Amino acid sequence: MSDEQVLYRSPMLHRLLREADGQLVIEVVVGRMAMSAVRVRLDAHEARAWTEEGGAFADRLAAKITADPKFGGRAYPADS
Amino acid sequence: MLRHKLLYLSFGLVLLAGCKPPEDATKPDAAATTNPAPEPEPEPEPAKLEVSTGECDETQTAISKQADERAKPYGILPHLDKNFADMKISWLIKEGPYQEYIVEPEAEFFGRCNDAGCFQFAAPTEVIAAAVEASITDEGHDAAKLGKALGLPAENMDGPLRMLTLDLRASKTCVRLPVDDDPGVWKCKSEDDTDCFKFGGYTSGGVPELLAINAPVAIAEVREIP
Repeated sequence: MSDEQVLYRSPMLHRLLREADGQLVIEVVVGRMAMSAVRVRLDAHEARAWTEEGGAFADRLAAKITADPKFGGRAYPADS
Repeated sequence: MLRHKLLYLSFGLVLLAGCKPPEDATKPDAAATTNPAPEPEPEPEPAKLEVSTGECDETQTAISKQADERAKPYGILPHLDKNFADMKISWLIKEGPYQEYIVEPEAEFFGRCNDAGCFQFAAPTEVIAAAVEASITDEGHDAAKLGKALGLPAENMDGPLRMLTLDLRASKTCVRLPVDDDPGVWKCKSEDDTDCFKFGGYTSGGVPELLAINAPVAIAEVREIP
């Protein structure tokens, strides 16, 4: 975890990270009275959107993950 | 002569008064019976503390009114009265996000923040505390047991947790029924979804919930759950 770089952090409780191997990952805090964090690795299309739009894209992606915490099976626990 | 008549008249009146039965002849003579021990005064019932929605701004007041209208005849005040009578709220967060999003940035308020405020879902402290206590093991806590008690998936509960508690009477934090547009809400997609949102003040697992707006970090009680 310490080798990752935080590229963007939102007060809506999500952040975009670059992992040690260069992979872009978004982390989103999900849940209501019991909160945990999930991560989703950005695909090439999403990585390009991040490069072009920055935080606005991260916010949209986080909102989609919040609305579907499994994110079609792509989300995994941040502490795994 | 007149003086004598007046004397007789006075005497007659005295006799009449003497023959008149006591005013309350049907009642036992209080002086003739032993005084019963004075009945102990009933203990004054503890004053029921009033529940309150705290200090809400115009926007949150308007949203709360709409939510109450939708929930009629229920609403945030009956909800507080029924489920949060001690005005204490709690929630759980995994250790990682707690450190990352609250401790490290020195957050002033809990929850997801936007221009309108910071939004934190919470349940009655007694419900969370009872579930936590029942899940404690020698090694830490039983995530499956805790999840089951709160109607939530076990994976949301594994690993070290923090239990945050806020006394709404002390903080005067604004609270209302959560609505579909609140940050953090997601709608149920399948029967397996147990932590999705249903309007009405209860989770899909049946636990009472509310939304606290701008719940201050500084006065919250933090409990570590290994």
